[in-house]
Amino acid sequence: MRLPLSWLREYVPVEVEPQRLADALTAAGLAVDAVETAGDETVLELDVTTNRVDCMNVYGVAREVAALYGLPLRPLDTSAAEAGAPAGEALDVVIEAPDLCGRFCARLLDVKAGPSPAWLRDRLELVGIRSINNVVDLTNYVMIEMGQPSHAFDLARVPGGELVVRWSREGERVTTLDGNERALPARVGVIAGRGGEPALALAGIMGGASSEIGEATRVVALEAAWWEPLAVRRGARALGMHTEASHRFERGADIAAGPAAIGRLAHLVARIGAGTVRPGLVERKGHERPARTVRHRPARVSALLGVEVPRLQQVRTLESLGFLVTGSGPEATALVPSWRLDVSREADLAEEVGRHFGLQRIAAALPPATRPGRLRPSQRRERRIREVLTGAGLVEVVNYAFVAGAQMDAPAEARTRLANPLTEEQDTLRTSLVMPGLLDTLGTNLRLGRRDVAVFELGRVFVRTDGAPREQRRLAVLLSGSTSPHHWSMKPRPFDLFDLKGVVELLFARLGEAAPEIDRESAPPAFLHPGRAVSLRRDGRVIGGAGAVHPDTRAAWELKDEAVVLEIDVDALLETAPRIARFGALDRFPAVERDLSIVCDEATPAAEIDARVRAAAGERLRSVSLLDRYTGNQVPPGKVSLTVSLRFQDPERTLTSEKVQEAVDGVVRELRAAGFEIRGE
Amino acid sequence: MLDTIQEVREKARALRAEFEAAVAAAADAPGLQALRDRFLGRKSGALSALLKSLGRLAEAERREAGQELNALKAAIEGRIEEIASVLEGRMRAAALRHERLDGTLPGRRPWVGRRHPLTVVRQELEDIFVAMGYEVYDGPEVEDDYHNFEALNMPPDHPARDMQDTFYLEGEGGLLLRTHTSSAQIHYMLENRHPPEVRIICPGKVFRRDSDVTHSPMFQQIEGLVVGKGIHLGHLKGTIEAFLHALFGEECPVRFRASYFPYTEPSVEADLGCVVCGGSGRLAGGPCRICKATGWLEILGSGMVNPAVFEAVNTRIGRVVYDPEEVTGFAFGLGIERVAMVRHGIDDIRLFYENDLRFLEQFVG
Repeated sequence: MRLPLSWLREYVPVEVEPQRLADALTAAGLAVDAVETAGDETVLELDVTTNRVDCMNVYGVAREVAALYGLPLRPLDTSAAEAGAPAGEALDVVIEAPDLCGRFCARLLDVKAGPSPAWLRDRLELVGIRSINNVVDLTNYVMIEMGQPSHAFDLARVPGGELVVRWSREGERVTTLDGNERALPARVGVIAGRGGEPALALAGIMGGASSEIGEATRVVALEAAWWEPLAVRRGARALGMHTEASHRFERGADIAAGPAAIGRLAHLVARIGAGTVRPGLVERKGHERPARTVRHRPARVSALLGVEVPRLQQVRTLESLGFLVTGSGPEATALVPSWRLDVSREADLAEEVGRHFGLQRIAAALPPATRPGRLRPSQRRERRIREVLTGAGLVEVVNYAFVAGAQMDAPAEARTRLANPLTEEQDTLRTSLVMPGLLDTLGTNLRLGRRDVAVFELGRVFVRTDGAPREQRRLAVLLSGSTSPHHWSMKPRPFDLFDLKGVVELLFARLGEAAPEIDRESAPPAFLHPGRAVSLRRDGRVIGGAGAVHPDTRAAWELKDEAVVLEIDVDALLETAPRIARFGALDRFPAVERDLSIVCDEATPAAEIDARVRAAAGERLRSVSLLDRYTGNQVPPGKVSLTVSLRFQDPERTLTSEKVQEAVDGVVRELRAAGFEIRGE
Repeated sequence: MLDTIQEVREKARALRAEFEAAVAAAADAPGLQALRDRFLGRKSGALSALLKSLGRLAEAERREAGQELNALKAAIEGRIEEIASVLEGRMRAAALRHERLDGTLPGRRPWVGRRHPLTVVRQELEDIFVAMGYEVYDGPEVEDDYHNFEALNMPPDHPARDMQDTFYLEGEGGLLLRTHTSSAQIHYMLENRHPPEVRIICPGKVFRRDSDVTHSPMFQQIEGLVVGKGIHLGHLKGTIEAFLHALFGEECPVRFRASYFPYTEPSVEADLGCVVCGGSGRLAGGPCRICKATGWLEILGSGMVNPAVFEAVNTRIGRVVYDPEEVTGFAFGLGIERVAMVRHGIDDIRLFYENDLRFLEQFVG
């Protein structure tokens, strides 16, 4: 809201320097965004919070300024000489919808419509309102000055000289002042003519063209009403409208302001010589809101603020803001002024007292300690995951939680769409971090000429289960490009599945957990290469998959480089309590290592060989590691030779070569029995 | 043949002098070998010759002279070893110098991983609050109207809902994406019914239907909630000052001004003295754009918990746990992007979610 200081000073004799005034208002909750000076005039640009509709006008701010500086607040001049027949003879008002209109005040004015005087036009221009004619301009002037929107009807164009307040009927039509013909839904507040027909104006939102003030207007029916905030809000929203009037009414106008607002208008009409007011106020009431009282315990207010504000000072602040405090003991009652719909409890009084006392005068202190703070184990694990992965050279990325439904691969029943997405690109909650999230990240970077992309994301996906999106924490990794930055001493090697597996193994080792197993029963997701991907299982449950991106997926995504990706569910992992490692005695006797080369079909999983070796090697086996995997001239086509190193150790004694040979023989027997050939044994 | 021990001693003295003169000239391994042969050689060495010439001395003198000559032999051997080791060291050093690597060639380094800049800020904030005795609590991102609005004193049709344009989800239940982390306050209070002593922060993603250089449809907030007996506005001020100072430095001024949020009363906004222009509102080239020449940066919203929030929670629980007559509290919420943007001078919030590695790699992580 734009507030010219000259206008403010008509009501409060504040002489402080504009910037200081702006700072004081800002501190007290009326944020001044800018102070503009042009010629003799200074305009404050106020950003009034939605609860303080009473300050979206000059007089309301003047009241605050008067209270802040202990200055007198001058009353509004509503004096006007009356002339002509009583208004009630030519105008009647009927409230058919008392739940829409709390109070309706109207007066009749004999006017000569025409252009506004320069001072009026200038002042309106200063606050950003375009001049229309003197009558309409004055209604706007009074709205800016007092906050009360009012509407002027050309009485000659009000059928039957009667204004009827009612709810709209579905489909009924009104042409509003902005020239739009609108078809109304049911239950929009309207003001209509005699017998309720036709609708002349949208209550609290905008007037209608049919009773608009023009050059020919002689008698004006001036209305200042109090509309139920919710009614205006719903009506305006249903019509997609937002006006200066609806903005004020839906936040709650001053139900007591009607007569004064019309009085002020009558005074101004007379002052600019545009007409005279007829005697008599036509007033009807609907459901009025009773005046509110709030308990005021000065000690409680001080306790909430953390500073002792003397009772008298509290009362003085409240009364300067229009509250009426009765009772002087520890427990008093404050009558809330009609313009303060935002005040309903003692805490609201504390705010009034606090902001006028000055927040900067309240001493800062830390609350007393209660118990040590901590991260939960799952939160510490989350941090650990980030530490390990960044330590392994991966960059953390964060993608939007909503993605383009068209790019997802999840089945329809697992998806949750936004009812009101901003764009098609973000119309569905993600069900995967990789598809499309990390693939998108890769695409973005490839397009920018960046080919080495090693990234991870830790975040939530939303898989629809039993009709509702269930939040699941996931970890995803994508590796594309070279395994390390180019170096003059080495040939670059592209990332492959085993780099990804290595990352997983590193991560689980650093969490003190066994690495997930490869699940050969279940198929990896369809967007992965069917031959170069695996499912991962932990504690008997499939937790995700890893593999190369399917060539078709890459083609669809225009990803010119290969990539390997991983996505696993980490809910269970995060919630697993970390184990404290138990110390195991160190071996005192030397270990013996023996190598075996096993020839098997290329299709035989290495894990199968590993399992057979472990099962047959006896209790002194400490570890099995794969030294080499060979295909070529030395083995028949379709076969592969795996060389494993077996490490034996005995906690009690130095192993004899006979004992070791015995164990190795056992392994060889078992493998041969299973149909494998042992080379060089 | 020598006849007296004096003669032997005379010869030995001469030999020693001769050795000293020769040793000074020995500069390399062959020189040392020649020295060894000349003085210690079994057949033609000078010392061996001298030892052989003792035959004519009396038994006692011969033993004495033998001892003296052996001592001389040991001394010469020692000297030769000493010089040999010096020479060897010198040669090794020369050889190592010869194996020179160009240490100015680039190092072989792995890829450098980094945390996302928002993670860095979030964890730093978490650490500050954990040190002040807070717990970190995660609430859900998909919410219902009750947790996101109603329990926070925003009944249906409340004008404050306009400030937070909401994403709704298709389907049953009227679910939505939380517009603020304040909803986590409600979850926490409903889950922790005794005792009504609360010190939590709730970091997380939030969603609003808005997108431009200062608004992202998804962004991150940290909500804080402190509830207990005797908690007052001074505690709110002290807490906010403490963490803003920890984050931006003690020298940064913090100002508090009255504001409005439906779930707090009184409501307070905190501004930080502009870290770019130092609070002057001006830079060399003109007005400071970061603080729009005001000298202040809006950094967070806060306030004393509105009793209506406690009442809503009590109603849901079915009995009075958070009695507004017994306990009070404060809450605050700040945008993590805002902090990161101020700190790093980032001018477009959307950069955080584009995942352009050129952006992410500008931060230490």
